[in-house]
Amino acid sequence: MHHLKFLRGGLAVYTALFIAFLYGPFVVMGILSFQKGPEGGPQFPILEWSTYWYRHVLGFAPPSRVAPLPIGEALVRSLTLAFATMVVSTVLGTLTAQAFRERFRGSGLVFYLVVLGMIVPGVLLGLGMALLANNLGIDRNWWSTAFVLHVVYTYPFAFLVMLAIFNRFDRSVEEASWMLGVTPARTFRKVTFPMIFPGVLSAMLFAFTLSYDEFPRTLFTAGSDVTMPIAIYGTFAVEIHPNLFAFGVLTTLFSFALLSVYGILMALSVRRARMRATGIQEEIA
Amino acid sequence: MAAASVTQGAAARRRQLLLLAPGVIWMLLFLVLPLAMMVYVSFWTQTTFAIKPDLTTKSWEAFFSSTTYVEALLRTLRIWLTVLVITLLIGYPTALFIGQFVRDKTVQTVLLVTCVIPFWTSFLIRVLAWRPMLGKEGAINIVLMKLGIIDAPIEALLFSELSVIIGMVQIYVVFMVGPIAFMLARIDPSLIEAARDLGASAWTIFRRILLPLSLPGVVVGAIFVSVMVLGEFATASALSGRKVNLLGNIIVTQVGSLKWAFAAVAGVILTIVTALVVTLLLRVVNLRREL
Amino acid sequence: MMEIGGLSKSYDGRPAIADLDLMVADDEYLTLLGPSGSGKSTLLRLIAGLERPDRGRILLNGEDITHKPAHLRGLGFVQQNYALFPHMTVAQNVGFGLANRLVDPVTDPAELGRRVDAMLDLVGLSGLGGRMVSQISGGQKQRVSLARTLVTEPRICLLDEPLGALDANLRERMTVELRRIRETLGVTFLHVTGNEAEALAMGDRMIVLDGGRAVQVAPPDEVFGRPATARVARFVNAYNLLEGETRDGAFVSGADRLPLPAGVHARAYAVRHDAVEIGDQAPEGWPAIEGRFVTAEFLGSRVLYFFQRRDGGIIEVERHLSQSDPLRFAQGEARVLHWDPAAAHLFGEDGRRVDAAQGGRA
Repeated sequence: MHHLKFLRGGLAVYTALFIAFLYGPFVVMGILSFQKGPEGGPQFPILEWSTYWYRHVLGFAPPSRVAPLPIGEALVRSLTLAFATMVVSTVLGTLTAQAFRERFRGSGLVFYLVVLGMIVPGVLLGLGMALLANNLGIDRNWWSTAFVLHVVYTYPFAFLVMLAIFNRFDRSVEEASWMLGVTPARTFRKVTFPMIFPGVLSAMLFAFTLSYDEFPRTLFTAGSDVTMPIAIYGTFAVEIHPNLFAFGVLTTLFSFALLSVYGILMALSVRRARMRATGIQEEIA
Repeated sequence: MAAASVTQGAAARRRQLLLLAPGVIWMLLFLVLPLAMMVYVSFWTQTTFAIKPDLTTKSWEAFFSSTTYVEALLRTLRIWLTVLVITLLIGYPTALFIGQFVRDKTVQTVLLVTCVIPFWTSFLIRVLAWRPMLGKEGAINIVLMKLGIIDAPIEALLFSELSVIIGMVQIYVVFMVGPIAFMLARIDPSLIEAARDLGASAWTIFRRILLPLSLPGVVVGAIFVSVMVLGEFATASALSGRKVNLLGNIIVTQVGSLKWAFAAVAGVILTIVTALVVTLLLRVVNLRREL
Repeated sequence: MMEIGGLSKSYDGRPAIADLDLMVADDEYLTLLGPSGSGKSTLLRLIAGLERPDRGRILLNGEDITHKPAHLRGLGFVQQNYALFPHMTVAQNVGFGLANRLVDPVTDPAELGRRVDAMLDLVGLSGLGGRMVSQISGGQKQRVSLARTLVTEPRICLLDEPLGALDANLRERMTVELRRIRETLGVTFLHVTGNEAEALAMGDRMIVLDGGRAVQVAPPDEVFGRPATARVARFVNAYNLLEGETRDGAFVSGADRLPLPAGVHARAYAVRHDAVEIGDQAPEGWPAIEGRFVTAEFLGSRVLYFFQRRDGGIIEVERHLSQSDPLRFAQGEARVLHWDPAAAHLFGEDGRRVDAAQGGRA
């Protein structure tokens, strides 16, 4: 029993180190984002603490030899693309998962066809789509060729999430609704959908995040109007500056804000349901 | 009546077909077709600035007779295997701790979310963040020198194969931890309890119960890590100073110089490698049943 | 009125319902008894339209509904697990069908509220309409499930082991309630159960399902008094069932020989628990078995005595305390168990009865 406690302690320390490994670069990035500008480079030592690079990212810094990040429009494009991808892949994922609730011939084939979308390395899909578009004479754009590939990538995730949700879904509730004379379509809207909504929400969150950060599939297919990750990739070729780190910190904060809104919304809906129920109980008592 | 029965069955089948059609058509048009196009184009004739649909195996011959390309293929395989083994070795103990030693569901979730939070920063920025860590004047060298472990900074940390491997391991190890922790957490605690009551040692419990039951998680994690590492090019170009070329980098460079047929050849080879790796891993476990 | 003819359904080649015929009258309480695996749930789901039959047809008031979708059949279905809508209140659950059904939906909120309240009154849930379904007890959920179905005025109400998940006390109360509610509304109930006491207590008529066939359709007292097959005798849990064969005009089971009427060839021999007498010696010509006393079980108004036969089998004897005082036996005491030859139920090779026994209570 004692050596087990020892093992447990050892593993706890190990896990802490592991998490430090995951966060190490972040901490360094966070520190360096406060480097003096515009002279300071993306390395130690810190010449002087300053918020110069944050102002630089947001466009408040006076022009200097460091070119501003081309983020304004790219950010809008990435968010639009992520939103559209989220909607389409969640709808597709829900439809396919709904079909998988009944057994059918060839289900294994369809399953692997869909899952293939998340397994094929992105750079291959990007290449294939670019070749296809070139030879068909289609222009490559972030809202066309890149968009369809984003859905190819996120739809399998949405499908798997919805499949897991439906696996745990008690279908006798739907049968109860049909037996009351309610059509299958209306049953889906009034009974099934409200019950699977939390699952749909996480499928959406998944799709949005994946698309927002998608890069290998977008590289060859976005054309000249780039998305956020492509804009960052563009800076790889040239010298990097701490403005990228400041931008990294800002996007992380933005992601946290988004996640917090999601969390608060979920908590609120749970609390509202509980409050309504207890309120009524008090009324009766 | 038999006719009525057929109609009923047909209606149900039509409904199912209607549900399946959008997704299947999408995948056929935008997944299968581009991949098929890539295979097709790999046999086209490459001229300096254009490709012509005259079928030839020239691009293939060019690929395999070039040491640069063959080396890139071998390097890709080497780095993939290294990263896979390291992510498994350093990921498994963490997964074991989260899945088996933390019994409180909330703490489990908090730990997993802690591991996932880095994903909320752009992948490319995460890669770049390694530069100030590993550089000659980077954090690691500074700390090691301050501690007196080394006298001169280790230069091999950045712009080398090592830096690419370190970067990839940090970025992808979570994909290994997640599925393994998930499988371990699903194991019925009474099973472990019973084994302990029967006098099994910690090692026996690990070898006979935990390891086999977590194997599907290992395989799923290995598939995730494999397909992502095999298709990698960004980490290599950011952390190796363009010294380490993977198959992915070859594709990007060739596309950049409009050598589409060469890019397609590299793409097909990468597809075959990925397919082989995934098929091999799927041999070990039925992915669909485990989900 | 519902008529079912030649209904068949198999899963992966194994028949669940095999060539079943059945007639359900208006305004009756019909119970469907069968062991697990007898196909009783399948039959209910076929009638409901939740499964498609392989063959056969279902007529409802003369109309063929065999291939009609479930939501157009106008039947009610009360599930074993209640299947309430978890995101709605009790009142919303009950009103859901009325408000959302395709045919003749109730759109006026006042009318809807009135009908929901009336139904909640009928099932004894007045005042609970505003609760979420997660906040009511199992028995109350059962009532909500029933109310939700009955408020839509189904032509026939199918109940799938509706009392299965309730504790014994509640079950007894709901038994009475179900009968009262059904009689108030005059709707036909088709109640599936695996519990023979429930089937006996509830139904006007009883269907015994075995191996996908209706082996007996009769009023409960007839099913108990004259089981149609040896297996029915076993399901109703009121018979000592001996297996053996006929030799020289007698039924031979282990070490025991029981006289048979002339010309009867039996493979199974049943005698009701309460038809067996305990004594020192059997009257001339009466079937008798020697048994050693094992134990007795007091069940309020009656006592069950357990005797072990020479070859190890157990014979149960039931005595109603209104008829006699409890008997006392010593452990292992040998008694002669005997009964009127007329109380014997005999079943042939195919399990069907072959005798002319009078049945009834001894």
